[in-house]
Amino acid sequence: MSAWAVWAMAAPEPPHGATLGGALEMVALGCIAVAVLGLLLVEFVFKSSMARSTYRWTLLLGLFVLPGVALMGTTGHMFESMKTVEACHSCHVMDPFVGDMHDPRSATLAARHYRSGAIPDKQCYACHTGYGIFGTVEAKRDGLRHWLLYVTDTWKDPLTYKGTYPNANCLACHATAPTFTRVDSHKALSTQLANDEMSCFTCHGLPHPARPTRAPTRVTAHP
Amino acid sequence: MNLTRRELLHYFGVTAATGLMGPGCIGWTREEAIPVDSWHKSVCRFCGSGCETRVGLRGGKVVKVEGLQAGWNRGRLCIKGLLNREILYVSDRAQYPMVRKDGQLVRVSWDEALDAAAAGFREAMAQGGPDAVAFYGSGQLFTQESYTANKLFKGGIGTNNVDGNPRLCMASAAFGYKSVFGADEPSGCYDDIEHATLFFVIGANMAECHPVVWERVRDRLRTAPETRVIVVDPRRTPTARDATLHLQIRPGTDVALLNAMAYELLRTGLVDPAFINDFVTFRKGTADSPPLTLEDLRAFLEDYAPEKVANLCGLSSAEIREAARLFGISQAALSFWTMGLNQQTHGVAANRMMMALHLLTGQIGRPGAGPFSLTGQTNAGGGVRDTGSLSHALPAGRVVTKEHDRQDMERLWGLPEGRISPHPGLSAVPLFEAMREGKVRAALVMATNPARSLPNADRYRVGMEKAFLVVSDSIFPTDTAQYADVFLPAAMWAEKEGVLSQSERRYHLVEKLVEPPGEARSDLDILVALGERLGHGALLKARTPEAVWDEWRMVSAGTTYDFSGMTYARLKELPGLTWPCPTEQHPGTCRRYVPGEDPLAKKEGRIDFYARPDGRAIVYLSEQGPFRESLTSDYPMTLTTGRRLEHWHTATLTGRIAQLKGIDIDYLEIHPGDAAVMGVKEGELVQVTSARGTVRLKALPSMRVRPGVVFALMHSTEHLVNAATSDYLDPTSAQPEYKLAAVRVERVKEGT
Repeated sequence: MSAWAVWAMAAPEPPHGATLGGALEMVALGCIAVAVLGLLLVEFVFKSSMARSTYRWTLLLGLFVLPGVALMGTTGHMFESMKTVEACHSCHVMDPFVGDMHDPRSATLAARHYRSGAIPDKQCYACHTGYGIFGTVEAKRDGLRHWLLYVTDTWKDPLTYKGTYPNANCLACHATAPTFTRVDSHKALSTQLANDEMSCFTCHGLPHPARPTRAPTRVTAHP
Repeated sequence: MNLTRRELLHYFGVTAATGLMGPGCIGWTREEAIPVDSWHKSVCRFCGSGCETRVGLRGGKVVKVEGLQAGWNRGRLCIKGLLNREILYVSDRAQYPMVRKDGQLVRVSWDEALDAAAAGFREAMAQGGPDAVAFYGSGQLFTQESYTANKLFKGGIGTNNVDGNPRLCMASAAFGYKSVFGADEPSGCYDDIEHATLFFVIGANMAECHPVVWERVRDRLRTAPETRVIVVDPRRTPTARDATLHLQIRPGTDVALLNAMAYELLRTGLVDPAFINDFVTFRKGTADSPPLTLEDLRAFLEDYAPEKVANLCGLSSAEIREAARLFGISQAALSFWTMGLNQQTHGVAANRMMMALHLLTGQIGRPGAGPFSLTGQTNAGGGVRDTGSLSHALPAGRVVTKEHDRQDMERLWGLPEGRISPHPGLSAVPLFEAMREGKVRAALVMATNPARSLPNADRYRVGMEKAFLVVSDSIFPTDTAQYADVFLPAAMWAEKEGVLSQSERRYHLVEKLVEPPGEARSDLDILVALGERLGHGALLKARTPEAVWDEWRMVSAGTTYDFSGMTYARLKELPGLTWPCPTEQHPGTCRRYVPGEDPLAKKEGRIDFYARPDGRAIVYLSEQGPFRESLTSDYPMTLTTGRRLEHWHTATLTGRIAQLKGIDIDYLEIHPGDAAVMGVKEGELVQVTSARGTVRLKALPSMRVRPGVVFALMHSTEHLVNAATSDYLDPTSAQPEYKLAAVRVERVKEGT
């Protein structure tokens, strides 16, 4: 197998078509553009010909409503764009993790999932966010914490996952798959797996390089 | 204090932000599903893979077991490894010593139990001499325990009747290595997996029996898709599902297949003439037989051309040729095997031929290439093979039949010259036969369950009934405990301290982390206490695990094993060390015999088989030989046995774990065609009858087995599968032929 073929196998195609993040970004930019243009036109071109009440309404729209929508759009865009692998990788602390995921010769779970294309995009977010509204809130809280540790240069090497990784994140995709349900070990440990008393990783391997083999994040962050 | 509404809102805002970004964010962490007070390095106590673990304690109990990320297993464990935390707390843990009185085992004090055991041994020796007593140990004992038992019986009592359950699973591999390379144990290490381009797996269902090693193989396949896998197995096992080529061989014809592959390799020139010329010699029978030549081998193999043996092996000649071609052209071939190759009457021959393929092709001594037998039990390699706790052996590769070796051990143990008997003792099956015949009158059985694990088990249960049996185990009752005259409760795994080895010659320290239940004691304590009562207390000067280990290091020094550099301090700190390791600075050896890697390899060049007098490994001309048990109209089918992922050995431990109780182990896999001919449907009861005994199991029609072959698990606790298995022995290794028994399978009519 050629190196190109291995690389092609290791790099899933990016998602096609419009994304929610992109749409929100366009909405925000559109609102800002309309607001700025509208305010300029209203103030310097149409003010004298407008009724006072209409003028006030357009000011309200340009100064508050459209910026408000733009704020919502940018916030939404930020929320969405922060789910991408690129966003996680923007902190170089993540180099060893993202680099491993992209490594066509890596056997970690993250790399295998990435290669297989089973998770088409937002691969970090997909596995590191619990399901439902609380999962999203926790993810945002984690993200903020990671950002604070990063900007204050207070993180500790090696990075460790705090607490117990929820098996539900794995089971959400795998629980109903025949490759999961036909395994007697899974049936035997169903209660322990559901309660996170045993981890999927124990049998199926580490999601990221083992701590002793992982490149130190500080060296990468501060070359 | 006067506050405006604006100031109040401001303070609320700051407080909320601080709450969110302070303790609510920086200090927030997910909770642990199982809180742990402290973590400790340890090792799984099940199979011979030797997975490194970290054990979480809370409130004086083991509450969590995980794979050690720094270990060779890279954080992985199988289901049994995970359940290490459960085994200490299963029901039926043995807690109190017991002595049989009026036919019943009754609780007594330790003193009374040990006095009774010693009295039984003394009486037996008074009647029949030292050879009237025996020790039957286990690959589950710590190295210090097996070493001490060996010393007590061979050096103290003066009998070589020291054997154990590794004879049932690993003896053919041990004899194979010793006869080919001059020293036992594999030459490679698990790191070879990342360099191999071909895995040749024969007689091993690694996906179920060595699952973590197999996952590492699968990692190699995932990351190097060009890697090939050949699996030779009569069953289409989960391992075979990953195979590029699955040779569904007829049981017991491995030597013919391997000879045919050797023939094909020589015919096609896919051999390494320089390696053969420099490092190989040819023999037939024994290592001291007259030397032969490559041309002699060529002539010998004429009878094993693929088309000549294809029918015998149940394969096509094209399959055999393809297997040979893949082996010959691979850049690095790594072969794995275990009980499937060992447990037959041609076990040693099959082992020798497997090693011969590597020697003929030069596939040894470089990354990714080599013959690698896997061990079945936690410490069969280190505890039993390395310490020489087998009836023919002495520590660190020495043997009882060599005067020099005996004198060596007599000097090291401080014994008078001539104390160690020059006659090999009784190996496992003959030992129990001797009990049956009344020749062995007393035996100490430790950490194993021969009443269930011996082949043709019903026959040898009679011997256990007849002899004075002292049983030490951590579970009560077991099948063997039912025959005990004295039962001694033993601590296990993290309840005691000791050293375990595993398949790649890596030694690990298991530290004592929790207290054993009731009055249970370590097997080392039991051996020392019994030794005292038998008058050999002075011999057993080393009485703590660390003291025994230091003595064992001294005994190994200067031999082809040499553990001198494996100090207790290093074992405590490191995730294991591989031997040879002759100095305290040595990092451990991955590939033996390789100059520059193995500190004992002194010669220059590709390899130095230093354990052989001439520095050359031996390729044996090995006959397939006749079947000891032919198929007849009375017994037209072949029974073969094995294990499954979730259970282990006779299930004395795993059978008591609540989570595993729902997993079926009492079935007979039968080809759907054979089932249809018999009119047997899934779940119906069938009776398997051999010339030795019968067992009833539920039928499971399955394409996993080939027509004419049936398969049962050795774990079955309700049904004694080993009532039907064969106790024919390999003539060299004395390992029984579990993998091949002629049987008749019949549907059981209701009500019968």
